[in-house]
Amino acid sequence: MNESLLTGKNVIVQGITGSHGAFHTRAMVAAGTSVIAGTSPGKAGQDIDGIPVYNSIADIQSDMAVDTSVIFVPAAHAKAAILEAIAAKIPLIVCITEGIPVHDMLQIKQHLEKSGSRLIGPNCPGILLPGQTKLGIIPASLSLPGTVGIVSRSGTLTYEAMADLTERGIGQKYVIGIGGDPIKGTDFVDCLELFQNDPDVDSIVMIGEIGGTSEYSAADYIAEHVTKPVYAYVTGHHAPAGVQLGHAGAILGGERESAAAKTAYLHEKGIHTTNSITTLVDLMS
Amino acid sequence: MKLLEFEAKQILQRAGISVPDSYIASNEPVFLPAVIKSQVPTGGRGKAGGIVVVQTEDEYSAAVRTIANLPIKGFTPRTLLAEQLLDISRELYLSIMIDKSTAQVSMMANKNGGVEIESQDGFQSWELGDGNWEKVGQELADYFDLPEQTFTLQDLIENLYKCFISNDALLIEINPLVVTTDEQVIAGDCKMELDDAAIFRHPDWEFESEKSETNFVTLDPNGTVATVANGAGLAMATVDAVADAGLVPANFLDIGGGANEASILAAFNRLMEYPNVRVIIINIFAGITRCDEVAKAIIAARSQIDNLPPLAVRLAGTNYEQAVELLAQQDIAIQPSLTKAIEAAKESV
Repeated sequence: MNESLLTGKNVIVQGITGSHGAFHTRAMVAAGTSVIAGTSPGKAGQDIDGIPVYNSIADIQSDMAVDTSVIFVPAAHAKAAILEAIAAKIPLIVCITEGIPVHDMLQIKQHLEKSGSRLIGPNCPGILLPGQTKLGIIPASLSLPGTVGIVSRSGTLTYEAMADLTERGIGQKYVIGIGGDPIKGTDFVDCLELFQNDPDVDSIVMIGEIGGTSEYSAADYIAEHVTKPVYAYVTGHHAPAGVQLGHAGAILGGERESAAAKTAYLHEKGIHTTNSITTLVDLMS
Repeated sequence: MKLLEFEAKQILQRAGISVPDSYIASNEPVFLPAVIKSQVPTGGRGKAGGIVVVQTEDEYSAAVRTIANLPIKGFTPRTLLAEQLLDISRELYLSIMIDKSTAQVSMMANKNGGVEIESQDGFQSWELGDGNWEKVGQELADYFDLPEQTFTLQDLIENLYKCFISNDALLIEINPLVVTTDEQVIAGDCKMELDDAAIFRHPDWEFESEKSETNFVTLDPNGTVATVANGAGLAMATVDAVADAGLVPANFLDIGGGANEASILAAFNRLMEYPNVRVIIINIFAGITRCDEVAKAIIAARSQIDNLPPLAVRLAGTNYEQAVELLAQQDIAIQPSLTKAIEAAKESV
């Protein structure tokens, strides 16, 4: 993953006529994103503030090239929407939709592996490059252009960390929510690689959660490849075992998946850690 | 959604997997002898007295009466299952689940199935995909040292895989997988978990076990600080911050995106059930949720709920200004950050 993948100028929205799709399309345009078209089956010919609506991606592509698709399609139809974007060879697909069945994500992963597309999400707030582009629902008004890279599994904690940095005058280059589902398109390591390789980024904020093991591969990657300082918080220190908290990925399967064990491992690998979001930004000063 | 044993076995049977002959136990036995099994969503039923073998009608009636009223780890059964007795030669373990790290369906087996499975080691695992069950079945037969059952195990794996996919299952665990003295391979017990998110394509899903509540979880019923937040991550982080400040959080509550006044007010009422709560922390970073809706719920809660503890309110995001105005009219302060909200909460505890 590199910066040019995230800053493609030809952005479309799948599910553009739905209430979330239309609302956030307007917010994306306000944040500087170039939304050139959208899809909504059976609604070709309509428009959202002058942005033309098509029945399918193929129809859009017969008129113009597409770099990126942001998906707001409801969960029951999200698999078809993602597979449509993969089949259309769209380089970057950002899926905001929450509640996609795990078996659908298994199939999508198999298609992704054979494709040249990158998927961010699902069940994520998307990507914001403050002052440049917004692909998703991250509130741009709380961001500030700068040099920090933020990557988070949790949507609201992405905003929290970003707003906290902004309030202290520390700007961000990338704000990326990778999503709360157990099976997703992009994980910490892909984002860490992007931040390490971009000379504009000088420090990294990483927010993990209970459940799964991707914080471990992130810690190993950081120890081996990342020379920039990384500040991390893993949420859910007081989560009971075996109980799902909110979204699907946040379930404590065993001791290794706990916030304490992950935090200890990150710390051991030289990453600055805290046990509370309220002190995450304090670590940086 | 975790199914009860009899529900899971009905699904296995429809998928062509052998299960014991059975009936739902009520006043009269359908056949005897039989084993009566309490249908509760927890393990350790045997040790707790929830599984009883009966030979006569008198034993049957007594067992049904006893088990129907026997709570096991807090669960009292609504259904009792009566099954044929199996002449057991071997007890094996077989499960199929999704490996989240590889995004593959994986199967695990152990030669020593039965009640103490957690303490066993030596599990073997395989990746399952379309059409590889011949090979995997062969390897499983070798591993179990059951060469004469190779065809049976190949069929079992194929049926189990198709059952797993078509039912949107997250886990199917057959333990024990029984080999009888007359060489039948039968699912002795089964745990099955289905993906709640897939309910839209399974209109037939109707189970005793209800969809588990994920957005409201009690952490300590004697806690002194109740929490309300939006988003799973922020809700967990709010709990962490409360505990990190030396206070005792009572609960985790994610009101979710798009929460409205009525749903938030309902949440407040549930928090009132904790006897020792001295303060409620409300931490909302609104994206899809709107701060003014939360403010209206706060105002409604203050007027409708007697003895409402003090509130430490932190709001940010969508429609923040409207919320500030609404709350200012009621003299309710908004804290600028979670840190400040926790400082305010500390004064109340």
